[in-house]
Amino acid sequence: MGPPDSPYAGGVFFLSIHFPTDYPFKPPKIAFTTKIYHPNINANGNICLDILKDQWSPALTISKVLLSICSLLTDANPDDPLVPEIAHIYKTDRAKYEATAREWTKKYAV
Amino acid sequence: MNQNVTDASEFSKTSLPQLGQLDTLLRCHICKDFLKIPVLTPCGHTFCSLCIREYLTKEPKCPLCLNELRESSLRSEFLVNEIVESYKSSRKQLLESLKEATLTVDAPPIDITSESDGDDDIQIVATNKKRIQFRQDIVEPNKVNKRVPKNTSTFNNVKKCSKTTENLAQCPICQELFPLKVLERTHLDECLTLQSLGKAPKKSASLKDASSSKISDILSKKQKTTSPYEKENFHVNRYMFSANSGDRQRLPKTNFTSMSLNQIKHKLSSLGLPTNGSRQNMMVRYNHYEMLWNSNFCDAIAPVSESELKRQLASWEASQKTSNLPSSNGNTIASLMKRSNNGSSYQRLLMDFKTDKFERKLWIDMFGREFKSLIKEAKRGMLSTAKHEEKSSQGKAQETV
Repeated sequence: MGPPDSPYAGGVFFLSIHFPTDYPFKPPKIAFTTKIYHPNINANGNICLDILKDQWSPALTISKVLLSICSLLTDANPDDPLVPEIAHIYKTDRAKYEATAREWTKKYAV
Repeated sequence: MNQNVTDASEFSKTSLPQLGQLDTLLRCHICKDFLKIPVLTPCGHTFCSLCIREYLTKEPKCPLCLNELRESSLRSEFLVNEIVESYKSSRKQLLESLKEATLTVDAPPIDITSESDGDDDIQIVATNKKRIQFRQDIVEPNKVNKRVPKNTSTFNNVKKCSKTTENLAQCPICQELFPLKVLERTHLDECLTLQSLGKAPKKSASLKDASSSKISDILSKKQKTTSPYEKENFHVNRYMFSANSGDRQRLPKTNFTSMSLNQIKHKLSSLGLPTNGSRQNMMVRYNHYEMLWNSNFCDAIAPVSESELKRQLASWEASQKTSNLPSSNGNTIASLMKRSNNGSSYQRLLMDFKTDKFERKLWIDMFGREFKSLIKEAKRGMLSTAKHEEKSSQGKAQETV
């Protein structure tokens, strides 16, 4: 579910989670299966989130990771973008970014 | 391993929901199960010995605070071990009696609807956060509580030896004689808690009285061989008399790169380990055995024998083999895919996913129908929770009127 205080509100986003054999010592692989307009999520659904890469800790749980992804939707991190174009728009024209994100949400996630 | 997965949230619907905190605190943050051979890090965090040792072979940092951490700085925590063990032995009964209590109290009806599950998850996350903050505060009182019976039991033993019968009174629970003051101040509480443990500790029961290994037998309070007091104090006594004997050296980390195949074989056979398999197999085998060994002989309060360690190693190796076979991906999704007759393409997708080549379109093609039904369900859930909230707010409004 898109967070209510974000342009993704009202959308239902699907994720694919793959647990490696040595989970929780290695992070799970998580990707969006629903198309989403976000500076840290690319067209393939891959998510740029530190705790899914080098900041992973076995003390994390899937519910905490999903919570982090939700907060990433509310507060994107344009300084470490996966899609530089969206990050640029996010930084320079916030209104345009929000409009496009809302439009994509309506189109793909509702 | 443990077939019955337990969770701290089981306490949320009992008359003592705050016990859920204790339940979570006694769990390892890595495996989420109850701490098994707990060890303390210099940064003050506790994990299962094997969990943290395995993690440290991959990342040299504490999973909770991300501070640098080395295996050699881990210290065993016998007290936490005994707290966990004694809690585990009483948990089931505790949970049942607390549930019964809620039923008899006739608590206000709780809506057990599918939507409320989502809320529960969020609550767990919230308590997890709190738990980390208050960790120290909560662990401390525990230690204090557990020390109380320890002191009294030594005191009792002394009293029994001297056999001074002045002002003695019989405990209504364990039938033992105690000085009146001790009985009133500490012993009654202690005895009541210990009685609720019910199930006797596994090891003492099997060693001292093999015939009474059934829980029901132990519960029937008809043991003649050992006094209930002795059994119920098993964990207290084990902690009191625990000592890191250190009669076995820790196994050192080995650098295999400079070793020849024969040297590796020699190393393994000197420990009595099998020398079959490739060089890689043998290295992995040694490393895992080293972990098992050090965890057992350096950290455990009651170390098992070497042959038991070898059995554990063998079963671990067997489990590694099956999990590496592609066919063992036979989980629910895979069986779901077989049903729709494109198992092979699913396997390919899964492989792509593992290598970061994530194909969104293909996934949608494959699971589109399931996704749609899930969206429907989610929306229905949202609507009904909204209605729920309306209803409850209306209810509150009426109450205030």
